[in-house]
Amino acid sequence: MNSPGLQIRQSSAQMLGGGTGQRKMPVVSKYIDTSTCIGCKACEVACQEWNDLGNVRTVQVGSYQTVPTLNADLWNLIKFNEQTLPDGGFAWLMRKDQCMHCADPGCLKACPAPGAIVQYENGIVDVNPDACIGCKMCETGCPFDVPRYAARTDKMAKCTLCVDRVDVGLEPACVKACPTGCLHFGTKDDMKALADSRVEQLRANGFAQAAVYDPPGVGGTSVITVLSHGDHPEWYGLPKDPHVPTGVRFWKSVLRPVGVIAFAAAFFAMVGHYLTYGPKKPKSSDEKRGEGPV
Amino acid sequence: MSEVALPGQTKRTGVGDAAVVRARQTEDVVIGDEIVRHRLSSRVMHWSVAITFFLCLFTGLPIWVPIFHWMATFFGGLSTCRVLHPWFGVAFAVASLWMFIHWFREMALTGRDREFLTPGGMIRYFRYQGEDPEVGKYNGGQKLLFWAAAAGAVGLLLSGIVIWFPERFPQGVRELSYVVHDLAFILFFAMIIGHIYLGTAAEPGTFRAIVRGTVTREWARLHHPKWYRQVTGDAKNR
Repeated sequence: MNSPGLQIRQSSAQMLGGGTGQRKMPVVSKYIDTSTCIGCKACEVACQEWNDLGNVRTVQVGSYQTVPTLNADLWNLIKFNEQTLPDGGFAWLMRKDQCMHCADPGCLKACPAPGAIVQYENGIVDVNPDACIGCKMCETGCPFDVPRYAARTDKMAKCTLCVDRVDVGLEPACVKACPTGCLHFGTKDDMKALADSRVEQLRANGFAQAAVYDPPGVGGTSVITVLSHGDHPEWYGLPKDPHVPTGVRFWKSVLRPVGVIAFAAAFFAMVGHYLTYGPKKPKSSDEKRGEGPV
Repeated sequence: MSEVALPGQTKRTGVGDAAVVRARQTEDVVIGDEIVRHRLSSRVMHWSVAITFFLCLFTGLPIWVPIFHWMATFFGGLSTCRVLHPWFGVAFAVASLWMFIHWFREMALTGRDREFLTPGGMIRYFRYQGEDPEVGKYNGGQKLLFWAAAAGAVGLLLSGIVIWFPERFPQGVRELSYVVHDLAFILFFAMIIGHIYLGTAAEPGTFRAIVRGTVTREWARLHHPKWYRQVTGDAKNR
């Protein structure tokens, strides 16, 4: 966690008063245009350099992809898919896989450690390693399979949207490094306008299904992606309608309060029983004391 | 199943210390005015389950809800709780297995137990109404607790393993495990609150049965009349 507490909008495992953000700021967003990505991996390198992550050995997976999935030392991965199209043709689909910085973050919902996952006023979802207990519950909470457990530190790790750079007015390292301009960074409103205009261009150029991926199921994301085949996000490895997993929501929003109430109820039922009926004693001792339960 | 004849003693007087210690190794025997209800191995087993349960409880509650976050301090913080909790869970599972093997024969539910366990039966029990002269060593409620504890331990263990190693299981199983772990724990703990209350404040003379092992004749006649008759051979109340 690199940003001061004045900017925190919500924080994991808080009882009340999660929203403490004093400093109001516009929601920011990263813009990714998959149609102009050439798969050069400059963003992967820039991310690892800026965040000073460990070395990752590349794996030959038989495609233009460096490793199979994200890991604790690789927070940004260009995924590649050679997709056969319904008309018999094929498409080479590149997609930047990273934390989506959801407005309704499932990781934060699932996290049991107070303050270990925070969402800043500007929409960035960040991890505070100081408070993280390495329980991996955020992995289950995330609909995009992003958070990774780092055995080296016993903490979880993921993209911070370079909050330390954003705080001082710089764009994220990956955006800085991108040579084709398929990455941009700015306020969410600006990035949405940019994405909409790009989608119009794509539609005019033979991609009638082009669309912006900003899934409403998680309240929208602070990483928005332009997809040439917007009707098939799964071709890019993106879930069609992501949302905080039902099990996690039920567990955190229903079971926990019900459980606490059940304990209190059980405790007070016992107190009430004792006050009403008192202890159950053998008759002889009742006689001796001349009193006792009726 | 009746009074033990210990060498060199007269009935109800002058029971030698060593002899009492020996007698306490045997359940369901009368020593003087007292009846041995739980022999040493039963008591050690019970407290193994109880202590491992409370270790799990106190390391689990702070992870469960932030209200209990302060408890983590006693174990050196939330991270330590996260590391310790599953190991305490393993110990609890082992103790629970011991309890199951130790008690499952005695805990078979009879027709009368099922009557006891109807809502009406439970209400009568808590109102101290309608004493049943046919209650044996364990009443329906105790047997229910035993089977619920056994089922709860299985649920907690299986879901706990998934929560411990989530990367080895698919998403749906992980989500289900959080729900199962919480549900099993909530039911388990609510029953334990009742168990502790009945074993201490509500029924005086009960707690010593699981600590020193013995109960008084009056206690046995009141709470477990059939067991009392079997142990003492007392035909008067038959």
